[in-house]
Amino acid sequence: MRRFSGGAEAEIFETEIFGKGAVVKVRCEKKYRIRELDVSIRRTRTRREAKLLHKARMGGVLVPRVIALGKFSIYMEKLSGTPLKDTKIPEKGYGEIGRLLARMHNAGIVHGDFTPANIMVCGDDFYVIDFGLAEDSRSSEERAIDLLLMKRSVGRGHYKFFESAYAREADGSKETLARLSEVELRGRYQIRTLT
Amino acid sequence: MIVIGIESSAHTFGVGVVKNGKILANEKKMYDVGASGMIPAEVAEFHVENSGEVLETALGKSGMNLEDVDGIGYTKGPGLGPCLQVGQMTAKTLATRLGVELVPVNHSVAHVEITKHVTGLIDPVALYVSGGNSQILKIDNKPYRHYRILGETFDIGVGNMLDSFARAAGLKPAWGSTVAKLAEGGRYTAMPYTVKGMDFAFTGLLTRATELAAERKMEDVCYSLQETSFAMLCEATERALLLTNSVELCTCGGVAQSKRLKEMLGSVCDEHKIKFGFASDDLNADNGAMIAVTAEKMLEQGYRAGPKECGIEQRYRVDRAVVF
Repeated sequence: MRRFSGGAEAEIFETEIFGKGAVVKVRCEKKYRIRELDVSIRRTRTRREAKLLHKARMGGVLVPRVIALGKFSIYMEKLSGTPLKDTKIPEKGYGEIGRLLARMHNAGIVHGDFTPANIMVCGDDFYVIDFGLAEDSRSSEERAIDLLLMKRSVGRGHYKFFESAYAREADGSKETLARLSEVELRGRYQIRTLT
Repeated sequence: MIVIGIESSAHTFGVGVVKNGKILANEKKMYDVGASGMIPAEVAEFHVENSGEVLETALGKSGMNLEDVDGIGYTKGPGLGPCLQVGQMTAKTLATRLGVELVPVNHSVAHVEITKHVTGLIDPVALYVSGGNSQILKIDNKPYRHYRILGETFDIGVGNMLDSFARAAGLKPAWGSTVAKLAEGGRYTAMPYTVKGMDFAFTGLLTRATELAAERKMEDVCYSLQETSFAMLCEATERALLLTNSVELCTCGGVAQSKRLKEMLGSVCDEHKIKFGFASDDLNADNGAMIAVTAEKMLEQGYRAGPKECGIEQRYRVDRAVVF
């Protein structure tokens, strides 16, 4: 298996399953925490992520298909595409990303790390990846954070298309956008708007 | 350059004397928090009563005279208003009398700066953990040079959480170290674990631990509480390190005196080949030397405070302070 990428809590390897290219996300052991805690965290998060991937798919969001589930690992189909952060698409194209997030929120999921690094462009389709921080939630606060992350990652023009498409299609979008303005007023989010 | 630093944001009144980066004296007196906690007005009174003595002892130990001093630094905030005021008044009086520069210092910035000063780390991610604060910080140059908050607690500081638990469970002060001592013989029992990205929250953990204190062996509760809360801090810190591609980590603040926390953070750093540093315990607890060191650095870089800047600010956010 070749190491593909990885973050703080999991590593992603390229592999093959049933003769097809696949990736496996493994939540690795952390030596800093005691074993009981380590095992419980890795097991619950692996299960939760697989469950949410499935739930998102049922809600009409394109996500990598889960092929198999281990104790601490998820085997998924390998997407052939490029991350949105490395792809130039027209500003208008961000309307489709807004609809994507709306579908996910309507399905009762918040992503927790909704940035262009976690959206894959595969031909004409957009796939959402990395549900490691995702949660089963309909809270407007957490929905607002999903929007905020995108707002701070892309240009103003892109975001405008993103937000107006989201506002049209997401349930409770009025409340979420009101919450977003509130969140942005908090001290920790203010500094960078001074630029 | 010779600079005096005065710290009085919470229960400690401290005076430090520094000469060209060398700490000549670091004296302090701590208000006995007892069972009732801190009553701001009473702590301020304590500071007033002890300020003269601490200042004199510090000067005596440093071998310097007041006339040699080039600047007076003091804690502008964050902290308890009445307490901050005592330090600010002392500093202002001294500076006016001596005709030297008065330097308002952000308390949180000072904690990180002193740690960088003694460890020689250049651009570390800093895990600042104390009673009132729990934050993951790193220097950001835009739009001005400041400590950007990468992650922080959603509710209370980790030190506050450990203290509140220990008080509710009827343990003896100093609470954090009492919990640590009891934890040594404990076994694990499950507790709520709350991390979201690089942020964390402690009140759920506090409630559950307090409930469990009535049902389980105290050793087990202390052990699990400490392991769970420190693991939360480590996970968020690890994420911050990788996200910012950092090669250095430091920890500072009162809770950074914990051996177990440093051991765990050391393990995080080993895994990613990251350099890890921390200051000695007397520099991690609130102290005057950290204010002196930071103030001296600011003066060296040409900082001169205007009269309007020399007040106190109870909620002086770390990211609002310009770093030199």
